Amino acid sequence: MSIGAAPSGPITEFGTVEGVGMGRVTHEPGGGPPRSRLARLWPWSIVLLGSLYFLMPLIGTVRMSLRHNQGASAAWRLILANEDLWPAFRESMVNGLATIVVSLLVIVPTAYWVTLKLPKLRPIIEFITLLPFVIPGVVLVLALIRLYSAPPLLLTRTYGSTRLVMICAYAALSFPYMYRAVDNGLRAIDVRALTEAAQSLGAGWPTILAKVIFPNLKVALISGALLTFAIVMGELTIALYMAQRTLAPFMADIVRNKPFEAAALTLIMFAVTWVALGMISFVTNRAGKRR
Amino acid sequence: MGGAGRPPFRLSWNWVGIVPFLVFAGTFLVLPTIVLGLRALEAPDGATTLENFRNLTTPVVVDSFRLSVKISLLTAIAGGVFGFLLAWSVLLGGLPKPVRSLLTTFSGVASNFAGVPLASAFINTAGRIGLITVLLKAAGFDIYKAGFDLYSFIGISVVYLYFQFPLMVLVITPSIEGLRTEWREASENLGASAYQYWRYVGLPVLMPSILGAMILLFGNSFGAHATAFALTGGNLRLATILIGQQISGDVLQDPGLGYAVAMGMVGVMAVSIGVYSLLQRRSERWLA
Amino acid sequence: MRRLIPVVALVFIVAACGGDDDTTATTAAPGTTPAPGTTVAADPMADLVAAAEAEGMLTTIALPHDWCNYGAVIDGFKAKYPGITVNELVPDAGSADEIEAIKANTDNPGPQAPDVIDVGLAFGPSSKAEGLIQPYKVSTWDSIPADAKDPDGYWYGDYYGVLAFEVNTAVQPDVPTDWADLLDPKYAGQIALAGDPRASNQAIFSVYAAALANGGSLDDAQAGLDFFASLNEAGNLVPLIAESGTVASGETPVTVRWTYNALANRDENGEAIQVVVPDSGRFAGVYVQAISAYAPHPNAAKLWMEYLYSDEGQLGWLSGYCNPIRYEDMAARGVVPGDLAAKLPDTVGAVFPAIEQIEAAKTLITENWDAVVGLNVGG
Repeated sequence: MSIGAAPSGPITEFGTVEGVGMGRVTHEPGGGPPRSRLARLWPWSIVLLGSLYFLMPLIGTVRMSLRHNQGASAAWRLILANEDLWPAFRESMVNGLATIVVSLLVIVPTAYWVTLKLPKLRPIIEFITLLPFVIPGVVLVLALIRLYSAPPLLLTRTYGSTRLVMICAYAALSFPYMYRAVDNGLRAIDVRALTEAAQSLGAGWPTILAKVIFPNLKVALISGALLTFAIVMGELTIALYMAQRTLAPFMADIVRNKPFEAAALTLIMFAVTWVALGMISFVTNRAGKRR
Repeated sequence: MGGAGRPPFRLSWNWVGIVPFLVFAGTFLVLPTIVLGLRALEAPDGATTLENFRNLTTPVVVDSFRLSVKISLLTAIAGGVFGFLLAWSVLLGGLPKPVRSLLTTFSGVASNFAGVPLASAFINTAGRIGLITVLLKAAGFDIYKAGFDLYSFIGISVVYLYFQFPLMVLVITPSIEGLRTEWREASENLGASAYQYWRYVGLPVLMPSILGAMILLFGNSFGAHATAFALTGGNLRLATILIGQQISGDVLQDPGLGYAVAMGMVGVMAVSIGVYSLLQRRSERWLA
Repeated sequence: MRRLIPVVALVFIVAACGGDDDTTATTAAPGTTPAPGTTVAADPMADLVAAAEAEGMLTTIALPHDWCNYGAVIDGFKAKYPGITVNELVPDAGSADEIEAIKANTDNPGPQAPDVIDVGLAFGPSSKAEGLIQPYKVSTWDSIPADAKDPDGYWYGDYYGVLAFEVNTAVQPDVPTDWADLLDPKYAGQIALAGDPRASNQAIFSVYAAALANGGSLDDAQAGLDFFASLNEAGNLVPLIAESGTVASGETPVTVRWTYNALANRDENGEAIQVVVPDSGRFAGVYVQAISAYAPHPNAAKLWMEYLYSDEGQLGWLSGYCNPIRYEDMAARGVVPGDLAAKLPDTVGAVFPAIEQIEAAKTLITENWDAVVGLNVGG
């Protein structure tokens, strides 16, 4: 293949341009010369190995879900008939979406600002974003209750207000992941150039963030959103102490003494969450293409 | 960057940009950490004391930190390397496009598949009467006799990787995406092999991001508790488990010590950030 | 971005509106004097019921539904007083967690503050000393044995159980009948404690019970540690925590748990799970109830206690295989249904340690577990 003189072909998400790359938008499988069969072996082997590792425990869980003493499908029937499952699931889903929004709104401008204007502050900001790892969940929720439940704040007075506090706490828990994903995304684009270009066209900060930065960070934002969603769906301790009826407390109840139903539930939640994330991914991809 | 001639109002304008973050993080992270620190200064009878912090030097606590750091480093590096390879495979490996979305969305689910469900899944697979164990035994190979044990340091590390791999995949994907194709083409043009491209162009460019991802994996593992507890109870004495034993459960233990250990973890995290920042600045010099 | 704003707003509105709103609960003053108990509670009860229903909510903590059949007990309470919503927190909380929850919620009138707690015996006096609980003597106070309650009414025993062997006979058909049987090589890799021996009552008391069967006494639990050390050396002990799930799946086919937990597991997961009270070393453990000094709904809490200590509540626990604390009194009055009594396992000869003995044993076991038993999974 030759580079340079060949005319560039269409640039698409799937891209494959053997000619001059036109910047970061091409996603070129290979990013280089056509692969030999041997060279393709590596990626396939790795993916296969990974898939094996990921699938084995799930298969073990399937086996467990079929061992209910009332019959192979009993665990599945019982858990699907449990009328508390879907309300709890819906509640967690809404919490997840809300958390993603809050997290994005806080982290993206911050990461952008730090990258652009305050790089010296980066270690401190990163340290703060990693705090969720070292504060035990019980300690965090009880501290939040201690700090914000007393008069005059009374932030946990009602179920709804507690839910909002919890969503904000979840957003804080998502900071390590969201910040890292966004930071990586920002590193991959030339933030300074983009900003200066936008500014020279007369854009103000909100416009720059909304119309320049966010769209260019799409992959990073999806990563961060997926991670945040997973955290919210699985978070247990805070929901328990804040008396919220989300999915994880429901799951904990089942796990406690119904191991076969718990296995079935794990798989159901796995599948449903996977599909939900797939849809989010699909929708955001299509929205990107329309642009 | 910072220049001598900056007018003062510019500096305060810069800080305004991160005020929302500082307020949010302050309310939900920093203040609870301060509460944590204050409670670490409490003696069982309520008086103020430094005894808890002094107890951080006892062998039990030091060992727990060592164990936690060990498992976190191990799973961060192993998770980082293989996670990177996975991401590279689906992004640049010439595989069909659906494989990429499958892996990305799967990673989204698996990244938080932890605690009792994950432990149960592995117990059902590789436990003493797990699926694989039983199948292999039927084929004549007893892995437990051969020395493998799910309820060991290595076993738990293997389980941890289940959420470390996906985390790495998700976090490093934007960076790999950002590798300019013209760099690859240019290096081809200059006669470089794939190895040379990665050694001199690809990896150096990605190094800051890879380091960043690894510190995330480190922190993720460092703070993990439920999975290890579900597998070996309190018998693998990680720092997080030690904390749990002091502040939870049915025994009137020493909560002050638990909080002090938690503050110790904050300290370890701070040191890790320091090390990571140093490494990162070094790796960024290439790009500057 | 413009399209996103209504979506964002919608998500927040849904989040904020979801779920029930807490009915107005006036902050009741803590530390009310104990209501005088009368054997015939007519008007005082009616007043209490009215006050409780005015509060409209009861917040409990650490009450799993399959523990002593709390599920049925709570349902019975809800059926009897439909005006009171029961808000259940953290079912898997340990006693220390319950205390922490009270401490964190001292100023909180909301649904996160527990009204009543069910904790291990040793936590009764300690929470009284810390001023975390308030006294209340139920109308059936006198029929609670004197050694299971605080004379001032701050805490009071609710039920007890005995430690028993729980065996999944589908994996291990030979059921041990006594502690010494556990050392047999056929149990290699099959025995696990039902908790962390540094933090869990069941695990610590298992060691304590083993001491009783191996030459130790209620004052000296060292023999128990030595017994588990030999179990570990024989390769019979695994570092896993045994739970209903791991017993039912067969991963930990043999464990030691409270009779009520083991029997509940058998009921849920099949007759293959058998429960045997050991011939020697029979150990009984008492749990106690108390009302939080900072309870946002003190009258509902008191009503709950009245219910629990009525015959109805006590029989509810009995149906969960727990021995209710007023059992002797109820049996003497012929109130216990025959079939229910028959379901209880034979626990004759079980010993009840005193609080000081429990404390001493706990300290000994938690501090020496690592050194003596050596079950540590190290790096």
